[in-house]
This record gives sequence, structure tokens and C-alpha cells, in this order.
Amino acid sequence: MAKITLDIFRFDEAVDDVPHRDKVVVDVPETMTVLDALETAKAEVDGSISFRRSCRSAICGSCSMNIGGVTGLACKTPCNTVMDEDFVVKVDPMPNFQPMKDLVVHMDPFWDKYARLKPYLQPKDEDSAHATERRVSPDDMKKLVDVANCVMCATCYALCPVVSVDPAFAGPAAIAYAYRFIEDVRDGQRKERIAQISEDYLWLCAHCYACSYCPKHVDPNDRIIDVKRAAIKDRVMMDERGPRHALVVTKWIKKVGMLHETELIAGTIGRFNVRGLLKVAPLGLRMAYKGKLPPVFLKPIPKVDEVRTIFDALEVPVS
Amino acid sequence: MSTTLPLNDHTRTHSAQTRRYGFFPGCVAKESCKELFNSTMLLAEKLNIELIELTAASCCGASVVNDVNRDIARVLNARTYAQAEALGLDDVITICSTCTGHMRAANKELLESEERMDHANAILGKFGAKYQGNVTVRHLLWLLIDDIGLDTLRSMVVRPLNGLKVAPFYGCHIIRPESVNGWESARKPHSLEDLITAIGGEPVDYAGKTRCCGFHIQLEKDNVAADMVGQNMRMAADHGAEAVLTPCPLCHLALDGYQADSADRWGRTDLPTFHLPQLVAFALGVPADRLGLNKHLIDPRDVLVARELVS
Repeated sequence: MAKITLDIFRFDEAVDDVPHRDKVVVDVPETMTVLDALETAKAEVDGSISFRRSCRSAICGSCSMNIGGVTGLACKTPCNTVMDEDFVVKVDPMPNFQPMKDLVVHMDPFWDKYARLKPYLQPKDEDSAHATERRVSPDDMKKLVDVANCVMCATCYALCPVVSVDPAFAGPAAIAYAYRFIEDVRDGQRKERIAQISEDYLWLCAHCYACSYCPKHVDPNDRIIDVKRAAIKDRVMMDERGPRHALVVTKWIKKVGMLHETELIAGTIGRFNVRGLLKVAPLGLRMAYKGKLPPVFLKPIPKVDEVRTIFDALEVPVS
Repeated sequence: MSTTLPLNDHTRTHSAQTRRYGFFPGCVAKESCKELFNSTMLLAEKLNIELIELTAASCCGASVVNDVNRDIARVLNARTYAQAEALGLDDVITICSTCTGHMRAANKELLESEERMDHANAILGKFGAKYQGNVTVRHLLWLLIDDIGLDTLRSMVVRPLNGLKVAPFYGCHIIRPESVNGWESARKPHSLEDLITAIGGEPVDYAGKTRCCGFHIQLEKDNVAADMVGQNMRMAADHGAEAVLTPCPLCHLALDGYQADSADRWGRTDLPTFHLPQLVAFALGVPADRLGLNKHLIDPRDVLVARELVS
């Protein structure tokens, strides 16, 4: 047993103007989960401490919160892995959400983005009588099971740095769930779904892998790449900057073996997009002033033919 | 520090024993961040290690080509590894976090699956190359700590940083995903702090140090990318940072280039950003005027003057 101090964010939007913190000491085993420690504090010290919880076994996704600076499920986090040398565990509500009461947040933006997906199967045919079953092969199903493990705890959404500065971004969970329907052979709205998630800024993912901390190993980071590939394969919204950028990078690696910085800026923004180019011009001028502009012409790397052979063997699209 | 991943990390490579390493500078260090390439070579000279550039290597895929094709990055990097093996170099050193993360991811995919290795080698076979699976990919930061050692580095310092308050900026691809990198904790890394301390600086702790610089979406939505820079640099400045140290040229382009664009929303920070080898080489006695500091948009020489490190 150890005396663990829970340093808890306290706030009640109904009465408080500003949040404060309470320190609650509980005498519990060091290996106890943060959720059980909170339950102990609520039962023995202060019944007003508020937090969401249900299953206590990482299945319901209710108890995601920020623990010692890292967001995750309180029921899956033992105190001894997050407490400091003075046995203090700091608990805060999930970032990227509006606090409601103590560790409870307003989840609405997260659910809104999920609802926009129309998260139910929309079959191809008009078989309203359901005369035949719709079969899925084990291989096709295998693609979907990882995402099916998502418990919508919103840990990924809370960790996402893009959401933190642009709340219009769909966020990792919604894109992973879009993948679950896009790749379902029973669904008939593949293109429409890809277009919808593209409009919700699929291509604004910053490749940061913060969502690789997913407590259920859904790894939205990989599913986001899958959806982008689906968009390029089905050629959905190809005039947008995201797909153009991916293809121009790929094209120049095939051509010269390297990332061509100058070409990929012009190619992504659009060579004739004067307004877009003017917008990056000030930074370009500052770089030019420092002698920092990347070269306009790049010599191909030695044996660039080998690179081209690889591209051809894999039939990689470059436009 | 060690890892149990199937990434050859557990063995001390032949390269490490002979101090001859394969060197993969990556594209940006050859294009807009040449000062990174040059200061890396100057640091290698000081450390008495040989970095042998893999001149025929291609781009690692830059975390972008995966958006187009599932296999291309893996096979391109297999070609690079085959070149390193042919030169007798089993340790490939990178100076870019994105290269590190994506080359290690490719290596992991190859080493974990015979099928994927055979698939890659079938294509490499078309031009007579073969990857045997003996390459380890590591970042220069890891080489400094594992092969040179903090104690040795400390003993080599001739120009300690005089307590300069340096904010480490890890960014993403050198620590995440943990299943690919795993050299240190992605949630609580401390290698940059250790290094800053070893060369006489004072590391600044702030939550932004493991967050994203926004580089990969600069062309998608520049104001969002600039906000990500502003947010992180605001945190660093509020914790007393005088300068930033990053192991990645992409982070460098973002932090150095976009602080000005986020100033109206996050306040002016103007924190100069050092490339990892620049600051280490400086402490080890390489003259400041050889490190390309004049190439930075936010000139780092001002803080060196303020700390009486250069006149």
C-alpha cells in the first residue's frame, strides 16, 4: 500500500468561472489503476469528484482523461506507471475538449464528426426485402476488425495536434471509421464516403503518429493512409492539394530519385495558381535572402534507372 | 538504451566497431538545409568517425509516398540497404527524423516478413541487387549517445554553452510510433536534454517538445501549420527558452520559417533553432562561422553573443 496523491482538475461550468485543483490522498496499492484510485477518492474522501466510467476493463471507452500529461484510459493505467517521485498522479480532462465538470468533457464535437460519416452500411442494391444474405470473405473482414476494436474513447482526438488548432479537422477516429465503411464490400457509398471525409480535411493529417497511442491498437494513423490511398485509387477530388502533393512527390522521386523541394511546392499549389504562389512568396523571399532556397534543377541520383524499375514493377501512379 | 525489436538494434554493428558508418543525409539536407549536411560532416571529423555517404540512395519516401502505394517506400529503402551492405556498412546513420522513422518502418516490414523481403528482392534482382537483412538504421542522436557516449562528449567540450536555455524539440518521427523507433520512451524522452546538459546548456521542459511541427501540412493549409509552430514555440518561450534544438531538418524548416507567420496569433517568439550537429559541433570547438548559422531565418548568432559564447 502507498499514499498516493491525486492532483485533480476541478471545475463546474454551472458555478465556476475558473478551474482550481484539489489534492486528494488515497491509501491504495501502487499498482491500482488510476480509475480505481479515483473511485476510492470519490467513495472515501470527496463524493463530488466527477468523471465518466463504466466497464473498468478498457471496453467501454468512457474514462479517457489526461494522466500525468498523457491522454489515455484511466482503467488501463496503473498509478505506478504515471506517478512522480512524490507519488503524485496529475489528472486532467482530455485536451481538445470543453470541460463540463471536473474530468467530464463535452463530447459533442467528437460525436458530430462521427455522425457526419453516416456510420451505418448503405448497401449497393435496393434489396429492401433482404431476400439474400450479403456475404463477406474472411480476407475482406480481416481489413475491418482492427477498426471494429475502436471504443470511441476519443483519446486520439484529444491527442491530435491538428484538432488543437483547427477544430474543422475530422480527427483520427472519424477517419478510421470512414475506412471501416469505405473498405466494407457490402457498402455501396464508397466514392461518396471518400469525398465526404476528404471534405472534412482527410489530407490535413500531419503524419505525427500521436494517434499511435491508441489504447485499443486501432492505429488510426495507418487507417488514415489507407483512406488516402483509396482516394487516389478511386480518383476522388484529385484537384485538391493533398492528392496533388502526394503525386508530385512520387513523380519526382521517380524522375530524379529525390524529393524535389522546388517542384513539389509549385506542383502542390499549382503552377498557374498566382494567388496561392503569392501567399508563399514572402517566405520564399526570406529564404532567398539567406541563400537558403532549394535548387531549381536537380541532377538525378546515380543509377536512377533502378528507382524507375521499382516504380514500374509496382505500377505506382505518378499523376 | 536498447530495444527488443527485430531491427538489428540489439547487436553492436560492425560499422560501430570500426567507426565507419553508412550515411543517409536525406533530401532536405542536400537542398534547403545544406548547413545541416555541412555541420554533420564537421562534427564527424571532430568525433573521428567516418560517415560514408550513400550517394546513389533514393529518397526514403518522406512519409508521403505511402499515400500513393503500399509497397514503394519499402522497396526503395531495400535498395538503399542493399547499397549499404555492398559497401560493407551495416549501420546507416540518418540526420532527419522523417528519414529515421520511415526507413526503420520499411526495415521492420522487411525483417518481419519473409514474403515481403522476397517480394522486394525479386524487384531488386532486376538490376542485380539484393538486401540480406543486416542493416540497422539509426539517427545521429542515437549514435552520439550510444557509440560516443555522454561522458566522452562532455570531456570533449571546449566551449560549454554557459547555461544557455535550450528547448529540445523532438517532433514526431524520431520517437513515434514506438513500435518502429522504440530507442527511448516516446512519451517521456530525455536524450536531447541529456545531450544539452552534456554540452553545458540548460534544457527547458515544456509540453510542446514531443508535439508536431506541422511541416507535412504546410502546403495543405499554411495557417494551421503555422499555428502548430506558434503553439509549441509559445510554450517553449513561456518556459524561458532562448533557443531550440531539433534533430530534424523538416522541423527546422517549420520552426525557423513559420514563427513569423504565427506571431499575430501566438505572440512573437523569434526563438532561433539549431540543428542537432550545429550546437554539438559548436560546443566541441568548431568555429561558429563554419556552421551555416547565417542561413537561418532567425539568426542564432544573437543568443550566442548574448551568452558571450561568440564575440
